[in-house]
Amino acid sequence: MLRLHSLLVAILGLTLILAVALRPSSATGQTAAPQAIEIKVDNFTFSPAVVTVPENSTVTWTNKDDVPHVIASTDGVFRSKGLDTDDHYSFQFTKPGTYTYYCSIHPKMTGKIVVP
Amino acid sequence: MKDIKQFVSTASGTIEQDHNQDGIDRRGFLKCMAWAGSGALCVVEAGVLKSTALGAQLGSMKKAGASHQLSFVQISDSHMGFSKPANPDVVATLKAAVTKINALPDPPDFILHTGDITHLSTPEQFDTVEQILKSTNKEVFFVPGEHDVLNDDGAMFRDRYGRNSKGAGWYSFNQNGIHFIGLVNVMNLKAGGLGNLGTEQLSWLEDDLRSVKHSTPIVVFAHIPLWTVYPQWGWGTDDGALALSYLKKFGSVTVLNGHIHQTMQKVEGKVTFHTACSTAFPQPAPGQAEGPGPMKVPADQLRKVLGITDVNYLQRRRALALVDSSLE
Repeated sequence: MLRLHSLLVAILGLTLILAVALRPSSATGQTAAPQAIEIKVDNFTFSPAVVTVPENSTVTWTNKDDVPHVIASTDGVFRSKGLDTDDHYSFQFTKPGTYTYYCSIHPKMTGKIVVP
Repeated sequence: MKDIKQFVSTASGTIEQDHNQDGIDRRGFLKCMAWAGSGALCVVEAGVLKSTALGAQLGSMKKAGASHQLSFVQISDSHMGFSKPANPDVVATLKAAVTKINALPDPPDFILHTGDITHLSTPEQFDTVEQILKSTNKEVFFVPGEHDVLNDDGAMFRDRYGRNSKGAGWYSFNQNGIHFIGLVNVMNLKAGGLGNLGTEQLSWLEDDLRSVKHSTPIVVFAHIPLWTVYPQWGWGTDDGALALSYLKKFGSVTVLNGHIHQTMQKVEGKVTFHTACSTAFPQPAPGQAEGPGPMKVPADQLRKVLGITDVNYLQRRRALALVDSSLE
């Protein structure tokens, strides 16, 4: 009896382990893995201006203009320092949402990151 | 918007005019000379652009009995720290502007700098400009450009230049019968918008003007144009019209701005709007390029499209004369 009981406990344990191990993959089975996205800041525009990225993706902006730009989300979630020519700024999007942003010194420049 | 005439001076010397056929007497309302080596002279008399002549004419006007009471120079957009092909040596061109100022036949009483002192708001860049401008031996009044408030909401700027200022760095002072107002329109900019003064500054302005006689000439200076030059490139101020509405009751208002790195002038009623050249690099005329960034011109042409603005107040004529001159 004791042997059978041990075996049952072992099987139950293994099942639990397997269930735990498999859970994340089944939960994220339809979601793409995090990506590294590049956005070019050139000629006073963000390109691409609208980007949809999976959760936990990192977006990197690179300034290709001869003047500095500041990447700032409209609701204060992220804000870079002044980026001189060829400077980069990266932010990881860990929560779903729609993040509108702009250049805080050239506010006509606007863009959007969508995390479904 | 009635009663509008616009004069656009370009480096090539052409003039565009937009006449309103509204029957308002335009006697004596002539034209503004464009860049022509020695510069342009636009005389603003009782708020109206009265006559035009090249540089030397100012001297003859004074001889004709118009007593000079005050003169000052506007410089703008020195962008200390910029080193791209449009001007690899902004130190040299700022020094050339200082040489030009020191050589003026009628030495200015002080200097106004309408912002973008630095390119990247670093202490070293502020220091360099301070050192270079020292050799004018003149007091300099500053307002910040967006490049001067990059990383600290303008704290460093105000620490250096805003000792007697309010809010984000705005202030006013009286000099020889003229009321000067320095405004800040480069802070708290809204996504998709233009320059911004904000409600706190606007109510301060309204209050500040309450004690000023309507006959007192007013000079307003700020970095981004207070009038809408070209909104597609952000060349204007969202709540600029509200500020200007407080100035309507005054007989003579001169609005001096920078930011667009080229001279432009417009007269609207008794308000004259004028933008100064940069001492660092030119920018394209509105819509004449894909974007408003630094414009590369042949090296031997650069100093022809950089410059200073000399302003003379002729009290007996109640006139402010604006003289734009290039660095070469």
